Formats: sequence, structure tokens, C-alpha cells
Amino acid sequence: MDRLTIAIPKGSLYRDAAKRLRAAGIDVPTDVGRRLTVVTSDGTTLLFVRPADVPAYVEFGAADCGIVGKDVLWETDRNVAELADLGFGYCRLVVAGRRIDRYHEGAPLPTFLRVATKFSHSAETFFAERDLPVELIPLHGSVELAPLAGLADLIVDLVATGTTLREHDLVVVEEIAASTARFVVNPVRFRAKYDALIALLDRLASVPA
Amino acid sequence: MRLPAGVRDWLPHELARKREIEQQMRAVFGRWAYEEVQSPIVERFDVLERGLGEEATELLFQFNDRRSTALALRPEMTTPIARLVSTRMREAPLPLRLAYVAPVFRYYEQPQEGRMRELTQAGTELIGAAGIDADAESLFMAIEALAEIGLRDARFDINDARIVDGVLDGVGIGGDEARSAKHLIKARNLVALRQLDCPPLTEFALRRGGHEAIAAVRAICRTAPSLEALDALDSVLDRAAALGYGDRVAVDFALLRDLEYYTGFQFEGYVEEIGFSLCGGGRYDTLLPKFGYDVPAVGWTAGVERLLIALERRGKHVQRRRHRVDVLVAGSDVVAARERAAGNVVRFAAAEHSDEALVEEARAHGIPRIVIANNGAIRELRVGARAEKTPPIPRTPSNWDAR
Repeated sequence: MDRLTIAIPKGSLYRDAAKRLRAAGIDVPTDVGRRLTVVTSDGTTLLFVRPADVPAYVEFGAADCGIVGKDVLWETDRNVAELADLGFGYCRLVVAGRRIDRYHEGAPLPTFLRVATKFSHSAETFFAERDLPVELIPLHGSVELAPLAGLADLIVDLVATGTTLREHDLVVVEEIAASTARFVVNPVRFRAKYDALIALLDRLASVPA
Repeated sequence: MRLPAGVRDWLPHELARKREIEQQMRAVFGRWAYEEVQSPIVERFDVLERGLGEEATELLFQFNDRRSTALALRPEMTTPIARLVSTRMREAPLPLRLAYVAPVFRYYEQPQEGRMRELTQAGTELIGAAGIDADAESLFMAIEALAEIGLRDARFDINDARIVDGVLDGVGIGGDEARSAKHLIKARNLVALRQLDCPPLTEFALRRGGHEAIAAVRAICRTAPSLEALDALDSVLDRAAALGYGDRVAVDFALLRDLEYYTGFQFEGYVEEIGFSLCGGGRYDTLLPKFGYDVPAVGWTAGVERLLIALERRGKHVQRRRHRVDVLVAGSDVVAARERAAGNVVRFAAAEHSDEALVEEARAHGIPRIVIANNGAIRELRVGARAEKTPPIPRTPSNWDAR
């Protein structure tokens, strides 16, 4: 059977992704360390990449398949086939604001609305679908600071438990969508390595979430 | 001085390689008795919209002429050829076999590899022929063409647009739900498909293989057109096997090219190491009737740049080979003319150059021989080869401090 190359996200999804792949019979190390790539005993090549980079590796065929959060798929909008919802890595993409602004209780939004986010593409899509004119301010980290410091009226961010929002007296104004980890494949490579990818899909899907 | 996004220059050695591939494709088209046609790069917007449908017009480079007639650059060749045939070639005996090797233009927001805004397509259209013989002809010509350029192991997946309709009918999904289900199958979004809670449909969207895959799908198909399409795929597989392509052709039921365009048989060709398809095509029986000419048609096209990428990744690199020059001639038109008449490629040098300068020029261009005419005397010099070194990235002046 064809040997596979799998893109695995480093960071918060890694532990569950590795556990799931091990249950599917692929010898994924518990700790990546500083390695970029590993070839397992059965000849599978593992690529350890930043979560946001998984879709690019798969779309261009540098990896045959990968594991990635749905939130990253929204944001990168790359052409990959989503074969399975792996269930772990649950989080929500939300619009949030300061509690005292009471947007969550229906207070009118400013006419010139400023939205800070690390997820520009998703935020743009969400507000465009509602014909709401917004000034998007792309940031790279600690988006919670933006409304507190007066940089933005709202933020679009990922929320797992909600602790971070609560700590900064921010509240969810609207939930955009919920995300979990997905098993994705390159559509053309799915044909080229059909048997191997179907076998992996079956093994990943047969493990309870 | 910079280029717009998504387009590129072709330097002599790069263009030589591209032309070589284009000529190989043309040779295959010719062997299958296809004649090349050419249409303008610019079409009227309404013509392209009529052929491609409203959705596809988002991909157009669009502009107005001075009388405000909406124009656009052609994004593919099938619609221009459909227009050409239905306006100019109605009297021509059918079926028509037409080929093209031509640049097309697409307004991709974010151009990337294999998705450039200007690309070259090489393909054929078989117009006025319905049925499996015409479908198979397109497929087998595509297989031959990719083999001709050196991709002898290219694989081809085939399908028929009528099958998914038969399956959706068979599992009781219709209307808008069927439309969205088709898009999900095309994208192979199994996560969203599973929400329809219809296991046979999920299995269908993952199904790929040979006769056994066709048999499995036959069990959930109801409509006559879809059953006919399954028979046709069985037959194409048999014919492919007889040609020795048995292990390179498979059925992929989620292979759905442009849903508005293709009405029946369709296929895509690819190689294992490249993540996008290299060529594809299918039957589009409703296109020519949109131009008032009620004939069926089937065609296919390959992206020449994608073929080049595939060959380059295989180490069949674009050769940094210069145009062959046989002789450098200085000081005499007559000597140069005589050399050309003898079939040699002649580079003409200025008469006032010293021998050293001429040798330098010959070396720089890999020219083995110099002929110098001076006051009636003719001398010949032999020049040894020298490895040439040019920087891989052009040394264009720039000042990053001032950026």
C-alpha cells in the first residue's frame, strides 16, 4: 500500500491528534521536541507544522492528508477535502465585546464599527454576510486587549472555555460557529493513494471520539 | 517596471521547453485527425456569460470598449469554439474535430502555483458526436498526449454527471437539498454530508475503483440515464484495459467538474506527486444549443504550465540550453549567407571586433566556430567550450533601506 505523508498540527491540538493517530496504528511520538519531520517504523512521514499551515501543506500536496481545526479551514479557505470530524479540539469562534458596552444585551452598535481579530478572513465573511460595514483591524495576539485599550469596539476570537473573556470582563455578543478537529486530504492525492487514505480514514473514524 | 500579479515572462530557454511540449501536444492532436483553430483573446462578455453561466463570470478579466460594449478575456477555449462553430461552421460536415493551444485568462483573487491569471491550454473538442465512442476518444487521446510529453504513468479518473442525479433520486433527496448535496460530494466534504444522515450517500461520495465500485453504485441507482451512464463507464474501463491502460483508469464517483457545464462523461488526469489535476474534460451537450446549434459535444484540455510543473518536479528540468548557433561570422555578408545556405545557424558579428573579442563572444554563446573575412582573406578559428555561470536569481538593483 502507498506510504502516506501526514501534516500534524503542533500546539493545543497535538496531544489529541497524536493519541488518535496512535490509536489508528501510526507511531506518532508523544513529544515532538524540535523535530520538523519523522519517518515512522511503517514508513509514514509525519510533518509537524503550525496549525494554520496544515491546509497549505495539504492543498499543495506536500502532505497527502492532515489534521486541522475547522477554524483554520474557515480562515485559510484552501481547497482540501474534509473527510471526518474527529470530535476533539472543541472551540467556538465568537464576536465579543466589553460587558459595560452591553452589546450582548442589544445595545446599538457604533456606526463606524471597529473589529479586532486574528481571524480576518472569517470575520470579514461573517460581517459581509450581514452587510455590516466594519473596519477590520488584524492583530497577531492578545486580541482581548483591543477593546480594553480602545483600539476596537468588538473582537472576533476563538473561545474554548471562556475563561480568558471572563478575566477581562468581556462577553460573547454572538457565536459565529463551533469548531472541532477535522481529517482533511488533498482531493487529487485522495485518488492517487485511495486505498491507503481510505484505510486511515476507517481507522480514525472507528476510534471513539 | 514590475509585472501584474499572476502573470509571468518566459525567457528563451523556458519558452523553448514550453514550445516543445505544445508541439508534442499538437502532434498528438494531429494524429487523431484534429485541426487547430484560433479565436480572439477578447470576446464579448455576453457570449462568455451565455456559455459559462453567471457564476463563472466572476473569474473574468472584464472591461468595456469605448462604446461601452462589455468585453472580457476568454477564461477557457470551449465557449469561444462553441461560438465559432455555431456561427461560422454550421455547414461543415459533422462530427467536427477541432484543437487549440492558446492562452486564456482568469481573474483569481490570489494567484498561486497552477492557478495563474494567464495560462496556456492545449485541448480538443469533438463536436456533433454523441455516445461512448466520442467520450472514449477524448479520454484515450488525453492519455496518449500525457504519455507523449513523458508522463507515461499519469492516472485518469472517470465519472458521469448523470450518476449522482440517479443516486440522489434513489436515496430520496431532491430539489435544493440535492443541489447542495452535489456541491458537498464534489468538494468531498464528508463532514457536512454526514449531517444529511444518509449512509448510502456518504459511501457513494467516498467510492472509487473499478467494475466492483460501479456494481456497488448500481444498487442505489434508479433512473434510466444513470444506469446507462454506469454501463458506459463499465465499457470505458474495458476499452481502457484493452489498450493497456487498465491499472491507470479508475472510476471516481465524486469527480464532478463544473456542475453547470458538464452533462455526462467526464475525466481528470493527474500524477501521484502533484496535488492538482493536469488535464480534464467531459461531455457538454447543452453548450452548443445555447448558441442556437443543437449538437452534442465532448472535449478536454490540459494546462501546459501544469504539465511543465509536473515534468520539472520529476527532474525533467527546463534545460538551461541556449539556442544552438553553429558559427560566428565577422566581416562578410556573403560568407554569412553561404553559411546559412549550408543550413548553419549564423550569428553575425561586427567587423571591427578584435580576434579576442570574437572568441569571447563565441565562448559566451557556445559557438564552436568563427569565420573572419578581412580584405578578401578568410580565416577560421575553433573555439573550445566553457561552462557558463549566471546567478540563479537576477541581480536587479534595489535598495531595501529605502523601502
